[in-house]
Amino acid sequence: MEMLLMGACLSIFGLAVACLAFGAATRDTGIATAAAPAAETEMMRAAVQPARFFVTPPALPVAARSSVPIEALLLQIENHVRLEHAAAQCFLESPNPSMLHSRTVSALVN
Amino acid sequence: MPDIDLLKGLAPDEAASVLALGRRVVLTTGAELFHLGDTADSIYAVTRGRVRLTLPMQVRSREEDVLVEECSSGQTVGWSALTPPYRFTLTASVPLETEVVALPREALNRYFAGHPDTGYTVSFNLSCVIGQRLQLFQAMWLREIQRMVESRCA
Repeated sequence: MEMLLMGACLSIFGLAVACLAFGAATRDTGIATAAAPAAETEMMRAAVQPARFFVTPPALPVAARSSVPIEALLLQIENHVRLEHAAAQCFLESPNPSMLHSRTVSALVN
Repeated sequence: MPDIDLLKGLAPDEAASVLALGRRVVLTTGAELFHLGDTADSIYAVTRGRVRLTLPMQVRSREEDVLVEECSSGQTVGWSALTPPYRFTLTASVPLETEVVALPREALNRYFAGHPDTGYTVSFNLSCVIGQRLQLFQAMWLREIQRMVESRCA
């Protein structure tokens, strides 16, 4: 009987710990996020979710983009200019329309 | 001394005579060679190091110098000194210790008046430098317009 009661107590305790852990894992993390407008929060959440098949991931809102440090943004611009410079030089070496329309890997425009 | 694009096609002694019209300038890391809007009296042949050409851009309400082009040893910067209205249209600075030869417009004009063949060759080289820059930026501009059109039609 004592063994049965002990087992029941341990089971209830384990269930409580599991519930607490689950609650902590699924709770919203930031206070700021909670204070942000609901629509923007939803957009942010959708944007950071991993890509799914046949679904285009939504773009980050402007507010989220502006959180990129200015130094990082300037580096992105510089990298973009170098890439475009190289693409334009390739065009001048062998001019053909496809070189003018080729895609870039620049983070600034992707 | 590296091959200078502006002096291409000149005999070595003739190229040396043109370079002798200038003075060597050594710039320490981060130094500015010229600033946008300054009066342009000299053209610069880069003999060592690298020169960054930048334009001011508003980035989050702050004015930042954004890279437009980089020139290295053998290239010429500051050709605004040879074309009216003789004002620099970019800012040039150096990211590492760099050496240039500053060639004053007045000295070049005087020398070319007495050596028209040299003047012709240098002018031809200058037109190549300017023409290449024009074609390069034309292609870059078209690529940006292409992206803008694609984003609007998407």
